[in-house]
Amino acid sequence: MIGIIDYGSGNVQAIATIYKNLNINYQVITKPENLGKADKLILPGVGAFDATMQQLIDSGLKDKLNELVLGKKVPILGICVGLQVMGYKSDEGDLLGLGWIPGKVSRFDETKIKFKPKLPHMGWNTINDVQNHKLFEGIDNDFGFYFVHSFYFECEKEENILATSNYGGEFTSSIYANHIFGTQFHPEKSHGNGVQLFKNFADLKLC
Amino acid sequence: MLRSRIIPCLLIQNKGLVKTVNFKDPKYVGDPINAVKIFNEKEVDELMVLDIDATRENRGPNLEMIKNLADECRMPFCYGGGITTVEQAVKIISLGAEKVALSYSALNNISLCQEIGVIIGNQSVVVVIDVKKKKLFGGYDIYTHNGTKKSNWKLNDLISKLEEIGIGEIVINSIDNDGLMQGYDLPLVEAIREKCSMPITVIGGAGSIQHIKDLISKFKTIGAAAGSLFVFKGKYKAVLISYPNREERKPIY
Amino acid sequence: MEVDFKICSNCVMDTTDSKINFDEKGVCDHCNTYYSDILPKWHTDERGHRALKEIITKIKKEGEGKDFDCLMGMSGGIDSSYLLYIMVKKYGLRPLVFHVDAGWNSQIAVNNIERLVDGLGLDLYTEVINWEEIKDLQLAFFKSGVSHIDTPQDHSFFATMYKFASKHNIKHILTGGNYSTECVRNPLEWMYYQSDSIQLKDIYKKYGTGKLKDYPVTNILWHKVFLPHFKKIKLIRPLDFFPYNKDEAMKTLVDEFGYQEYPQKHFESRFTRFYESYWLPKKFGFDTRKVQYSSLILTNQMTREDALEKLKHPAYDPKTIKQDFEYIATKLGISVEELQSYMDAPNKTYKDYKSQENIYNIGAKVMRFLGLEKGGKR
Repeated sequence: MIGIIDYGSGNVQAIATIYKNLNINYQVITKPENLGKADKLILPGVGAFDATMQQLIDSGLKDKLNELVLGKKVPILGICVGLQVMGYKSDEGDLLGLGWIPGKVSRFDETKIKFKPKLPHMGWNTINDVQNHKLFEGIDNDFGFYFVHSFYFECEKEENILATSNYGGEFTSSIYANHIFGTQFHPEKSHGNGVQLFKNFADLKLC
Repeated sequence: MLRSRIIPCLLIQNKGLVKTVNFKDPKYVGDPINAVKIFNEKEVDELMVLDIDATRENRGPNLEMIKNLADECRMPFCYGGGITTVEQAVKIISLGAEKVALSYSALNNISLCQEIGVIIGNQSVVVVIDVKKKKLFGGYDIYTHNGTKKSNWKLNDLISKLEEIGIGEIVINSIDNDGLMQGYDLPLVEAIREKCSMPITVIGGAGSIQHIKDLISKFKTIGAAAGSLFVFKGKYKAVLISYPNREERKPIY
Repeated sequence: MEVDFKICSNCVMDTTDSKINFDEKGVCDHCNTYYSDILPKWHTDERGHRALKEIITKIKKEGEGKDFDCLMGMSGGIDSSYLLYIMVKKYGLRPLVFHVDAGWNSQIAVNNIERLVDGLGLDLYTEVINWEEIKDLQLAFFKSGVSHIDTPQDHSFFATMYKFASKHNIKHILTGGNYSTECVRNPLEWMYYQSDSIQLKDIYKKYGTGKLKDYPVTNILWHKVFLPHFKKIKLIRPLDFFPYNKDEAMKTLVDEFGYQEYPQKHFESRFTRFYESYWLPKKFGFDTRKVQYSSLILTNQMTREDALEKLKHPAYDPKTIKQDFEYIATKLGISVEELQSYMDAPNKTYKDYKSQENIYNIGAKVMRFLGLEKGGKR
């Protein structure tokens, strides 16, 4: 059962509809004590780093997630700011992130972006799945995914970079470390590619 | 490479889809849910749905309809029409829309944009500006209430103010070109592009894929929105939903 | 009285058609009617070609100097699409393509219409039925408990087309109806005449909530008697005049236009798909595939074994039926529970409501007597 975490941020409804149409068992989870029922978790996210981290802390989800993800190795997929909070910190805010994947979140360098509007990076962009991972199986890289963000994740280790995209230079658009995954883009808003990615995540065999 | 966005824009009146010419003579185009479902299957970049009578009729957004439409969208969905409070905006986002569009309510109370942005994020706040050329001496006037009331805002002042506040996107809607399918008002877009660095989406006048291509090649990263183009076909303006498929889109961007 | 299940030894129609009867060889009356009434008079050889040429010449003559010479109803389905292709490419007709949008178009249908119209360089005219009205009418049909709940769509197609032809004085309407894939017709008990306006109005009166102001209503006497005999507006089925093989037709359309295939007949409308593959079999035990396959068996486009094999599986996709059910309910503005309640309610027939059935019966007798119509519904 896929647990979609609803902590007041992100397109929970869209993700739920996708799993419903795929006939894959899912549940929208709000309480930390219910997180343990899921085999895999999805952490959506829209908005600012600090606000998101604060919500995770206040709701008690942060501690429970650490226990399940780091301790019990429950696979998790973070989306957009849900990916960003997996790092140590962000240029955007003051709070510390979850620190699951070594790296920090930086703002795009506007001087490197040629045309107006420079930020946010908004729209459909291609991806380059550098590790050929099963998460991206059956995806049309050229068609890509939908992005809307002004900050991106900078991995300290190359092995954590799952996919890159280009916006004023190459940047990391997807990260992973064993059973922890993150996408900067929004698969729930990326048509067939997104549906495929969600299906792949559900099908991943990670033990 | 980041692509420009090609965005069908649907207008709703009396629960049905309509298409106008110069904001007048709405022609009935059909049921919104089926149209949105078809656009979703055609994998459109984004979708914009505007309720054109909500403000004039002094009523709020139809939440049930918004939920039904959002449920059909596997792409970003922007809804506008009758949003006057932060609560409505938050509710609409929670129903599955990515962005909320404000027109009259933003012009009437510009700080509403900030208030909403603080809760749902600036990137989700869109302001739609309907403009018409002034009769004398060039320049544009801003109109609200579906093109029936002239606003006191000067276009340049409004753009500056919105840039200062920081919103997600502005949508420039040309009343003069609406429904004529003769092309976008490129000089208008140029003037606005000069004035600000926010994301811009343009609507009003697209009659062929070439028009969209021209807009994108001139402005590189822009939102090209259209109503008639994706909903009508041929000289009898037959209602038929169309949108370029993945292959057909490649040469346009 | 419980009727024992029996299936025709020649086609796949069976006793779920309660009026079926079998001869001593176990062959049903659908087959026998085909062999005795349709086949002898159905000419797709030189005779058919000549007859069609005569009609085409007439159409072209009357259309001289006009923007178009005939009207062609187009649903996006294979029959009307192939017909359009042949009439334009082979016979050089200049049709105005007419499409009625009743709110249930599938993406595939819309795409196919676009490809055909663009590929052949034709003009398209669409009539969009007022959704709020047809939605209410559709709900009325659900509430009535009858089996012919696809009537609101069907009725509006013909009504709109006839009205348009009458208004613009277009003498020839071409449709994709054909014997090749439709020589066996749906039993009346399964699908009563969609053109019966008395039945439609009675059901709406009893279960509708508003008024039908914009919804187009036609009348069997108007379009089967008045239009053809007084206004000289004729309905033509060109596909009956030459060999029409479904598979070959599909291949041609795919190759020439990039046409997309439908999983089953009538899948160009989301509603019809739901209705024929799920509602009708589940609620009434009527499987329209039996009718379609039987037609193909009689015209040697399908083997009986193949049909029987296919009929072993449900017509609907069990993986998506729940979503489809929900979509139908949402679109009609009701809850899934309410839609289910209509499914569970007692079954009614067209005889439970007012109808013009007697007029149809008289009309059918006259037509058959005059040799004007072969086969037909029963």
